[in-house]
Amino acid sequence: MKRVFITGVGVVSSIGLGRRAFFDALARGQSGITPVESFDAAPLGREFAGEIKDFKVEDHLTAAEARRSGRCSAMSLAAMRMAVADAGIAPEKLRGPRTSVVLGTTMGEADVIANLDHAWIAGGHGAVRRTLLPKYGSTLLPIHLARAIGAQGMVLTMPAACAAGNYAIGFGVDLIRSGRADVVIAGAAEMLQQLQFSGFVRLGAVSPHRCQPFDLNRQGLIVGEGAGLLILESEAHAVKRNAAVQAEVGGYGLTCDGYHITRPHPEAAGSVGAMRRALEHSGIGPEMVDFVNAHGTGTRANDLAEAKVMSDVFGGRRVPISSMKSMIGHCMGAASALEAVACVMTLETGIYPPTIGYETPDPQCDVDVVANTARKGKADVVLNNSLAFGGYNAVACFARPGVLPDPAQVKRRAA
Amino acid sequence: MTPHIITGLGVCSAIGTGREAFFRALENPTLLRNAPRRKVESFDASQYDDAAIAEVPDFDPAKYLGDKGLRTLDRLTKLLVVATRLGATDAGLKKDNLYVPPATPDGVGVVCSNAYGSLEAITELDRVAKLEDARYINPAKFPNTVANSASGYASIWEEMRALNVAVSDGNCGALDAIACADVHLANGRADAILVGGAEAASEALYLAFHRLGMLEAGAFLGEGAVMLAMERADFATKRGAKRLAEIVGFGTAFDAPENETQMIFASTDAMKRAIAAALEDASMRAGEVDVVASGVSGLKPFDMAELGAICDVLGEDVCVAAPKALVGETLGAGGAMALACAVGWLGGITPSAVQSGSAPDRVRTALVTSMGYYGNASAVLLRV
Repeated sequence: MKRVFITGVGVVSSIGLGRRAFFDALARGQSGITPVESFDAAPLGREFAGEIKDFKVEDHLTAAEARRSGRCSAMSLAAMRMAVADAGIAPEKLRGPRTSVVLGTTMGEADVIANLDHAWIAGGHGAVRRTLLPKYGSTLLPIHLARAIGAQGMVLTMPAACAAGNYAIGFGVDLIRSGRADVVIAGAAEMLQQLQFSGFVRLGAVSPHRCQPFDLNRQGLIVGEGAGLLILESEAHAVKRNAAVQAEVGGYGLTCDGYHITRPHPEAAGSVGAMRRALEHSGIGPEMVDFVNAHGTGTRANDLAEAKVMSDVFGGRRVPISSMKSMIGHCMGAASALEAVACVMTLETGIYPPTIGYETPDPQCDVDVVANTARKGKADVVLNNSLAFGGYNAVACFARPGVLPDPAQVKRRAA
Repeated sequence: MTPHIITGLGVCSAIGTGREAFFRALENPTLLRNAPRRKVESFDASQYDDAAIAEVPDFDPAKYLGDKGLRTLDRLTKLLVVATRLGATDAGLKKDNLYVPPATPDGVGVVCSNAYGSLEAITELDRVAKLEDARYINPAKFPNTVANSASGYASIWEEMRALNVAVSDGNCGALDAIACADVHLANGRADAILVGGAEAASEALYLAFHRLGMLEAGAFLGEGAVMLAMERADFATKRGAKRLAEIVGFGTAFDAPENETQMIFASTDAMKRAIAAALEDASMRAGEVDVVASGVSGLKPFDMAELGAICDVLGEDVCVAAPKALVGETLGAGGAMALACAVGWLGGITPSAVQSGSAPDRVRTALVTSMGYYGNASAVLLRV
């Protein structure tokens, strides 16, 4: 079993491109939630989203890449290039079979399928463009990235809904620990798209103006978009190239509620199990955790379940928790990858990003919310919660290098 | 890889539902001569000349799942849930849909490949939004548009709570799912995992292949789901499970085309590297492989690249089967169909769809290969 380090991160978000702009905005409590411009949302009665307004494909992709890619892949490619630069590794060093790419998403190239469908609906099957067809498929996201960087190992998409980022990062760790890769480019991406937006509105899950996780008067989620990419490296690989290590990924815990396709289990048994497994897999107890980056969607059911997880796992200890979704909305498949990037930055800076719009505590969510302004605190170990659609629960553990026990000494859980 | 045991097989395919029906069909040469392409039932195909798909015939999920709660599930989900239940039952993890100790809901997980999600659901809701109004889309059907929906329903219906992982890597996904299940079992995150893949026929999928000219080239689309019960060896021993096969090696590789504008790409090199990596993972030599259950589908450039790689690594004489000649191009489920074929072969079921070479009398090791459409390839090794 090998240690796995994070040596680079890249971000495309509604509050900034690149790690510094992104985290500075988070720390300031800046909101990226604005009226939707990419489609007419008004008839749905919900007009706000964490839409990215200043991402220009041509700034990040070659002309050939731009022709091949949908928006979701384009954001992933941009975030990957930022992460590689941040890792201080020459891209050619990532060429070859020891580099893999694992990406999470919910809908993948949603703009491509929408364009195909709309052409088909308007003009019949003859109107469907042959050149557009090969651009559809969530499979393509890691393919585009592997192609751009010359990676020749595993290329895998993990469509794990709103927990997809943690799934991809966790599996990336598994690939390195099991010796199948030295470097894994892991993360997730999601684009804002009309069908998905409408679906969440029709489910009654979308708040009219803002997202207020854990607040008594919370009215639901705000849809967002973005991409978060991380460079995961085996300890040996990172040491050999003298890499600046940003964080260690400890372990992660997965469970499935097996309860309801959209609602979390009211007793939160699955999500409690996921957090406990993440700690166990990392070889630490709950007393080691300094901060939890919440799933915190701002829906009544999610926040109640998450508060229950906190009290079940940490008992009377009130571990600070905060939800970035109050600022960038729920970026679906990309959410936990963006949150993972923020976790890395929290470990580096000791800054817990705030939950903005937190006004009235909900007595049923008795948690220590980092309310409205960032808080400075100890940041040796942080957890990243994701409790997703389909009952998918994934919790990942990130730590300052040197804090966690050697994974080789961590006893495997007897299932 | 630490070997894991295959103890059960759940199959919904064009040639049969259930392990025994599938095995009988695999070895039936009449079926191969009259490949089970038939008039399309799952959508109105009257706009297409001679549209034919290897659909699961007269698919009746209520027969396996009862008739409650099926109304809002899409075809993909129903195929997958039926295959999952059949696999768990075949393995003896469940009986009459109840867990048989020591198997428990918290000890059993799901890892499922799917290439294109529920295009049926996405296109239906897009139609409502475009032709009527987005305010009228059915919220009960919206969850089906999310790519992990079918996999999530498998956990709900079958109470498999240890973990649930959805993967997507086109035709290679079901073999990559084996690699995922391997790490979860090896790390003790589950006792047993139902692993495989599912893909459903839909007009959108047919239209895409039709427009790309892939059907005229000789391939035909199929659908179905295969879920294998894969267990840690100690757990299979503890509960006295039957052993259908062992999974002993996995390899995968990606190779990008040099032409910047090219998207679809068949890579012999990726396939060769995937096979070599699977052999190394299993600590086996090429000469030890008795047979290959390939992903050969009738698409010439891909078939040539795959067969070329197999011959390069394993030699010209190795016996290669093409189960897709029977079940069609089943995409995200394709690798799982080939895994099921390999499990049968190891159990003495000789498939009729042999492309080349002849199998030894007693098949002890089988390689399963899959080629993706974008330069990706994966391979899995099994033995008795």
